[in-house]
Amino acid sequence: MLRRILIVLSLLAICLHTQADELENYIGNIEPILKANCYECHKTGKAKGGVNLERFKNADEIIQKGQLWLKAIHQIKSRQMPPDTKPQLSEDEYNTLVEGLDKILQSALKSKNPNRVVVRRLSHSEYQYTIEDLLGVFFEAAKHFPSDGSGGGGFDNQARALFMTPLKLERYYEAAETIVGRLQGDNQLWQKIVPFEYKLTWWQKLVNWMKSLFSDDYKPVNPPEKAATKIIVPIASKAYRRFLKKEEEDKLTNLFLSIYNHSAEVANPDRFNNSLAQSLKAILISPNFLYRVEEENEIDQPYLLSDFELASRLSYFLWSSVPDIELLELANQEKLQDSVVLAAQVKRMLNDPKSNRFANNFSSQWFGINKLVENKPLADPEKFPEFTPAIRKAMYDEATTYFYHILTESKNFLELIDSDYTFLNEELANFYGFQGSSGTDMQKTILADRNRGGILGMGAILTASSLPTRTSPVLRGKWILEQILGTPPPPPPPEAGELTEDEGSHKDVGLRRLLEIHRSKPGCQSCHQKMDPLGLGLENFDAIGRWRDSYGQVEIDPSGVMATGETFNNPAELRAMLSNKKELFARNLTEKMLSYALGRSVLFSDESAIRQLEEVLLENKFNTEKFLITLVNTYPFRYKINDSRPKSNEI
Amino acid sequence: MKKKWQISRRKMLKGMGACIALPYLEAMSIPRIPYGQKGPFPTRSAFLFMPNGVHPDRWTPTQFGSDFDLSPLLQPLEPHKKDLLVLGQLMNKNSTVEDADGHYARTANLLTCMPIQKTIGDNIHSGGISIDQFIAEKIGHETLFPSLEYGLDRIKTGVDTNVGYTLLYASSIAWKTPTQPLSKEIDPRLAFERLFKNYIPGKEAKEDPWKKSILDMVMDDAKNLKNNLGRSDQDKLEEYLESIRSIEKRIVNEENKEKFEANITDDIKKELIRVDQRIDEYAEMYEGVDVTEKTRLMLDIMALAFWSDATRVSTFMFGNSVSNRNFSFLNGVSGNHHSISHHMDHDEKMEEYARINLWHVDQYAYFLNKLKSIKEGDGNLLDNSMIMFASGLRDGNRHSPYNLPVLMAGKGGGTLKTGQNLEFDKNTPLANLYLTMLQNMNFEVDRFADSSGILSPISV
Repeated sequence: MLRRILIVLSLLAICLHTQADELENYIGNIEPILKANCYECHKTGKAKGGVNLERFKNADEIIQKGQLWLKAIHQIKSRQMPPDTKPQLSEDEYNTLVEGLDKILQSALKSKNPNRVVVRRLSHSEYQYTIEDLLGVFFEAAKHFPSDGSGGGGFDNQARALFMTPLKLERYYEAAETIVGRLQGDNQLWQKIVPFEYKLTWWQKLVNWMKSLFSDDYKPVNPPEKAATKIIVPIASKAYRRFLKKEEEDKLTNLFLSIYNHSAEVANPDRFNNSLAQSLKAILISPNFLYRVEEENEIDQPYLLSDFELASRLSYFLWSSVPDIELLELANQEKLQDSVVLAAQVKRMLNDPKSNRFANNFSSQWFGINKLVENKPLADPEKFPEFTPAIRKAMYDEATTYFYHILTESKNFLELIDSDYTFLNEELANFYGFQGSSGTDMQKTILADRNRGGILGMGAILTASSLPTRTSPVLRGKWILEQILGTPPPPPPPEAGELTEDEGSHKDVGLRRLLEIHRSKPGCQSCHQKMDPLGLGLENFDAIGRWRDSYGQVEIDPSGVMATGETFNNPAELRAMLSNKKELFARNLTEKMLSYALGRSVLFSDESAIRQLEEVLLENKFNTEKFLITLVNTYPFRYKINDSRPKSNEI
Repeated sequence: MKKKWQISRRKMLKGMGACIALPYLEAMSIPRIPYGQKGPFPTRSAFLFMPNGVHPDRWTPTQFGSDFDLSPLLQPLEPHKKDLLVLGQLMNKNSTVEDADGHYARTANLLTCMPIQKTIGDNIHSGGISIDQFIAEKIGHETLFPSLEYGLDRIKTGVDTNVGYTLLYASSIAWKTPTQPLSKEIDPRLAFERLFKNYIPGKEAKEDPWKKSILDMVMDDAKNLKNNLGRSDQDKLEEYLESIRSIEKRIVNEENKEKFEANITDDIKKELIRVDQRIDEYAEMYEGVDVTEKTRLMLDIMALAFWSDATRVSTFMFGNSVSNRNFSFLNGVSGNHHSISHHMDHDEKMEEYARINLWHVDQYAYFLNKLKSIKEGDGNLLDNSMIMFASGLRDGNRHSPYNLPVLMAGKGGGTLKTGQNLEFDKNTPLANLYLTMLQNMNFEVDRFADSSGILSPISV
């Protein structure tokens, strides 16, 4: 028996050994090719585009920065690197390089790793919705709290960029005060949480008095703490999104009791209610509420999230809020991990209007249109007096309603790029120059004019990617590369400069011509020939998204030729061209959504999940439901792994 | 044979160290001048950040020394020339490490002088603690608030995918620890009430009597929670614990509260009423393009905080780096800050750029004026302050990190030799200025970040 184990072990060792050897061999083969063809621009001391390939000395280091190398492979495969101006790879070099790198990266994906998500503080909108669902109180969190940065995928729910500072905690305290105050001030809401009026009957009082005569250590009937616990436990459990621990229950009850005992001068039920209100406040600033915690077990391998943790991940992903009773119930019955149940829950959650919050949060941050509803100047008010707060709001609503519709009704993500409908109210329709819409609500409108359609025809995106005084084809082109195709261009050299704000010169020469001059510099050309044609294709939309045919003197020519040879003549054809870039769009959408769902950057260890999700999109006509069901089943969404760093014991 | 009592050379040298330290120990026994000041009044320090650099040719005055004419961009400072230091040729070397971009790596570390970690948000790290927080750590316990962080714009959310940096770096100069940027207060109403809501005559708010019990409970929650978490989670939760502790300190420290209350003189009360009204008036407007009034309100609140000794150190950001604020509200400017800063050496653009710079210097002058108008002892508040104004770039067009535009105003409690335009050796570390400030505040430090010494010509 022992012998057999030994044999197996030694065989295994040999396998591992050869595999490692094989990898190192690749390094031996790859490095000279990189040296000859890439280091010239990507070396220590001269890292063009911030990419230094010279510092990678072995397979492990390559795997560490797997994402960078994935991009590198993509650049090589799509023949963008080495650039046209440099000697090209031979067929042999190409094959060795691509296969070699592929093999190294593939080897790393064999051992699964869900990677870590750090404990997440609620984002401001999550806080707001959680309060709404938990207590029924509407509290505009973003107005009260200092804003957060964002990281990773660029969303405000990314754990590492959610900080706590004394100022923030003070605001949480004040918010708790305000919220509980409103709750107490609203009988209906209060009664939902405290369905009875606490007071003692004359008989109970008499009994308690009698008991007190015989012993100091008597047990009163209907003691206040018992009544309080009945209220505290369910509300705290929902707030903490799990069962309350005994000591937590005791702490909240004790807090209640000490306040109750100190306020004998107040008559019941106020005495009871006021003391209870303080316990509610404590719940709302407890780290158990403000942070979404996933505890560690003593397991070396990756392991499944607990049922309640999964419920929270689901609800904060699709509702930006606490799990509802049904999710908690399923978690309690240990059914939520079942894939059939899970799929049914995703469908149910999408059907719930609360999924609108997800649509809002995700799409507005993805598209970068939050600035439309912030109380801040955007387009220059003197130049664009038509750009009123009402129009800004309507534009924002158009984009987010459209996303929500795609998510839940049309169920085809590809319609984000192009479709023949949008959502308008009367004011926005008039603003666009359409007739027929009425009222202030956003209504689905079929577009007769196919110059609009998809998000690239929407005022929100067109304005957000413009400068305050004029359009910027470069910014719009960059926006498409980044947000639709997920292929951001490298930064411009600092001296490159920007075009003049003054539209006077555009009127004379036309922006297209100005850009051509700009592009003629060799340092600018390679990126601008990717960005500019895309942006110029949208020049018929002015800096606040209205249609125009000319800059005044000069007719606008929206046609374009891409570096790849693809051509288009108008915005509609531009969109059709983009709709064909399905792989790029699928990958970009996947990375964004996964990052939002996990609350961290997408890492190389997620690559298997990403490919799986891309495939689901491509094979199912970008079906939203199938995509989301697959996503919540992916390894990084369902599993966790302990932190490899040693714990700190000092508290 | 070596005898036991023979002292090795190494030990001898160590012993000498102790000898050298002796005079210092002696000094400890005489009544100690408190940390954070050399004169009779506490030294206040503020760090004002201007985004996107300056017009490179109109900043530095042409004559050096104490007899100099102010440059075109420094004109608003004419009334404060005697209180001013123009510091040339300073640079933040760690803003030019490999991979550093033109803005983020030259903003987040303006006050840390260490290299920041390049990240889209997963490993936010400023390289070190910022100078304001270094000061706050040492003297913050003396006041109700260890420090204040103000600005005009929200933290920018998102990632600059072109260069691979989180936009948070553009929005944060105050770092409590290398991994913890501080939140910025940008709303005059909220900023004002945080400090003074209990003291605005006629509007006094009541303190919550149960605050301490509630904070105790949630602190206990956090400690219990921390036990069951992994290291990174623990670190995150430590931010929470730190924040609770800092609030508790404030409500528990009766002595500080009484001291603060005693500081609210009738003059301050009058000013409180005035500012309160102005904030009300300001709040009624839709936040327009012109941010002058908002800026002045925030600076007035900062001045009030120094005056009432609510805090002794503060930062202020006129905008986030890469700010594209629409400056069309200025005469002769039609466009946005960052776009204009890339002026490509066009005369017209550079003129607009200069006007935007001038507006910033003008607000700085307003602040200095305010501090000067407040009496303290025989002098004024500015005499006991060190107010820095700087950008992380020289010429914004080139993202140039050399010869940074740096101003210092106030006599630092009689420790600064103001009224000079100075040119240091090329690429003198900016941290040398911070080290000088620290020593002038009576802290026993001989190094800050990459400092190589003090700027001796500015010290008395």
